[in-house]
Amino acid sequence: MTTVDATRIKRQHTARLRRGDLLSTVVYFSVAIVLAIFLADGGAAYFTNIRDLATGVGIVTGLIGSDLLLVMLLLAARVPIIDRTFGHDTALAQHRKLGKPVLYLILAHMSLLLIGYGITSGFNPVAEALNMIATMEDMGLAFIGMALMIVVVVTSLIVVRKKLPYQFWYLVHLLSYGAVLAALPHQFSTGMMFADGTWARYYWMAFYVGTLAAIAIFRVILPVTLSFKHALVVSDVRVEAPGVVSITMTGRRLRELKGKGGQFINWRFWAPKLWWVSHPFSLSAAPDGKSLRITVRDLGDTSHRLLTIKPGTKVSFEGPYGIFSEAARTTTKAVFIGAGVGITPIRAMLEDPLLKVNDATVILRGTTAQEVFLWQETYDLCVAKHASLRVLVGKRPRGVATWLSAEAYSSGERLSTLAPDIKDSDVFICGPMQWTDLVVRDAKRAGVPDHQIHAERFEF
Amino acid sequence: MRARSAFFAGAGSVAILAIGWQAGVGTLLSSLPTSAPVASGPSASAGKAARTGTTGTTSNASSSPSTSAAAPMASAPMAMASGATDGTYNGQTINTRYGTIQVNAVIAGGKIADVVAVKLTDQGRQSVSISNQAAPMVRQEVLSAQSAKVSNIGGATYTTQGYLQSLQSALDAAGFTG
Repeated sequence: MTTVDATRIKRQHTARLRRGDLLSTVVYFSVAIVLAIFLADGGAAYFTNIRDLATGVGIVTGLIGSDLLLVMLLLAARVPIIDRTFGHDTALAQHRKLGKPVLYLILAHMSLLLIGYGITSGFNPVAEALNMIATMEDMGLAFIGMALMIVVVVTSLIVVRKKLPYQFWYLVHLLSYGAVLAALPHQFSTGMMFADGTWARYYWMAFYVGTLAAIAIFRVILPVTLSFKHALVVSDVRVEAPGVVSITMTGRRLRELKGKGGQFINWRFWAPKLWWVSHPFSLSAAPDGKSLRITVRDLGDTSHRLLTIKPGTKVSFEGPYGIFSEAARTTTKAVFIGAGVGITPIRAMLEDPLLKVNDATVILRGTTAQEVFLWQETYDLCVAKHASLRVLVGKRPRGVATWLSAEAYSSGERLSTLAPDIKDSDVFICGPMQWTDLVVRDAKRAGVPDHQIHAERFEF
Repeated sequence: MRARSAFFAGAGSVAILAIGWQAGVGTLLSSLPTSAPVASGPSASAGKAARTGTTGTTSNASSSPSTSAAAPMASAPMAMASGATDGTYNGQTINTRYGTIQVNAVIAGGKIADVVAVKLTDQGRQSVSISNQAAPMVRQEVLSAQSAKVSNIGGATYTTQGYLQSLQSALDAAGFTG
């Protein structure tokens, strides 16, 4: 039994690594192809002459910038193979990481070409910019695209630093599609790399059309069709603790919905003052083919309206997304560490039939006993799976950076005493941002390799 | 990324770049001048020679000067033997993405005596200024080389190629064989 399981997990992990390598290779190749097309078009000639150097480098930065911009869009397009391979969080982290470099590449593209063309026509770069807008096809639009892009990246950086509300960021981010579309025409009308009848033109057209199609399909068409197909309706609302409810939804043909315990879904509840925002919530029970369940805590924003949601409310959704689930497993043993509502996806994962008996260690945290949400269900599942269960209740100690309760900390408990096998286990951690970071830190210190650490953070 | 995959991605990327480079060498060779502008040009064009050399001096610097140096030498003394009848010949109108180009060739004494631009790319002020700057340079090169096969003017590829194509058709009409 265990060896069969070990083989399955190893095979699944190897397949995921291989897919990851393949996708990364495709990204490297896309950059190489873009440069190869440039060289094949005689691009090397730009670098033989100091006067053409600025133009040459400007073209190259524009090409690489456009390529990586499309990669960014794909990373955020909820493409299933990307989600199943890297997980939603990692894909978006990569997306964010590319933001600034892409902006710099495109800024370099703009300024270098202004200098390069300016040299040819004897204008200074500002005069050259005005000249280009006035005389060259689609350049006005391209400059607008550039401005939009600066706005998008700058607001993203500010939002990450918590200075702007999420909804504002979301609306501004929609502008990025405007930026891409505004910049598109000049690449085909003015950019010589895209000249009629050349390979480059067809390659780039396919790349653009493919990316935009992926966004349309996976972000719009698929969620809408799935929402209509399953026609989810709230069937039950149960109070778990003050300010925490479990919402159960039923619908048609739910057996066909591919979802695993621990994954999350973006929900939209069609109730007054709720329908215009979507909320990401993890499944708090493994999908059983008949219903889906989430457990929600009032986080102070519009989510407090969810506490009083009425059965019969219609629900549309996007997902399920993420690999905070069995899909991320790399070894046979697993340690689950959850705090507060972070316990709920862990409860759903414990239910996964692929999780075998005797393989799990579960550590739960709550400031008070009531805050160990879904306690009874989680306890029952631990009994059924013969999982070793630890519950640490109480405030954290003052002045110490730890995720443990003061009591556990002072009695000498550490990650290694709570889960002795942790080095050889997959560690699933879900809780508030800073708490989760501390658990991840301790897991690394205990010698757990990075690929065995799976963390999902949420914010209050 | 695992080491083996990283190696594969790196090697593959290098291979793709190599293919692009190889194709680029082909593209550049086909646009290489068959005459050497620096060697044959009169003093007026010497100052601009650096500019015209853009495409000609890339990867294949060794092969271009040696093969092409003979061309202008041969054409100058054998001008009368070029087979061209004196007169002005209209070149074809060539369409480029920045507008149409047409030039006329003036043949005198069996030689290309002048090239007159009838129409140059005019779509947008940018291309007008590029054309106005590049056309006299191409003309100078043509007169020096006594041929429509001269090197590209960097930054004005469309103008140069349209100009030379139109000129070649005029030379063909004149029966000018160089």
